Amino acid sequence: MKNKIKVYRAMHDLTQEALAAELGVTRQTILAIEKGKYDPSIDLAFRIARFFSVSVEDLFQYEG
Amino acid sequence: MRQNTFYLMAGVTGLVEVGIFWLAVQLRNPFLIMVSFIIGFVFLYVLWRQVSDRKDDERAVYITEKAKSRTLDVFWVIFFALSLGSAVIGFSTPLHIPPPNPALPPDNFRVIVRTVHPDRPFMGYFGLFQLILLFLLILLYLVFRIYYSRKYGDWDSDEE
Repeated sequence: MKNKIKVYRAMHDLTQEALAAELGVTRQTILAIEKGKYDPSIDLAFRIARFFSVSVEDLFQYEG
Repeated sequence: MRQNTFYLMAGVTGLVEVGIFWLAVQLRNPFLIMVSFIIGFVFLYVLWRQVSDRKDDERAVYITEKAKSRTLDVFWVIFFALSLGSAVIGFSTPLHIPPPNPALPPDNFRVIVRTVHPDRPFMGYFGLFQLILLFLLILLYLVFRIYYSRKYGDWDSDEE
């Protein structure tokens, strides 16, 4: 699953550490999601989308 | 309590358990190590609940679950196969513990078995066998844990 977290993070001028702290996860988790190594749970996906005030579809693109 | 303090306590508890295991062997008291292990586990669980800087988010939990699941997948097959082998050893001998020989010291079970049934394997082999199984279980978990940690980006470098 592709995602634009890195883009939105840059737009909000946030480090991985800062975003991780806001979401209550570790920096390694943000890094793994950005690199496409880990697909977040629906709950975390919605929390990330809500944090950036976008829809989940804007943030994540499913590659079936 | 900090996470590093917990790991230190876990190491000390492990060493104490090894000491108690040695003592249980010396005293020939299996209940000593069985009860000690359970108490040690509960002790570490209570400590773990008190760690304040714990970093187990959903990805860490996912990695742990995957490692546990795969360990069980592989281990039960190995355990089943080895247990079948053990059953064959057991069934190839008479299905009773030989009565104590009055000519021998009453507590020397190994000598009794060796004297009455010289072709029968020492019970000590089963102790080694059990230890190998336990170490295999730990080794499998560590291998799967490392594999899934790598797969889900635990050691990736930061691109920032």
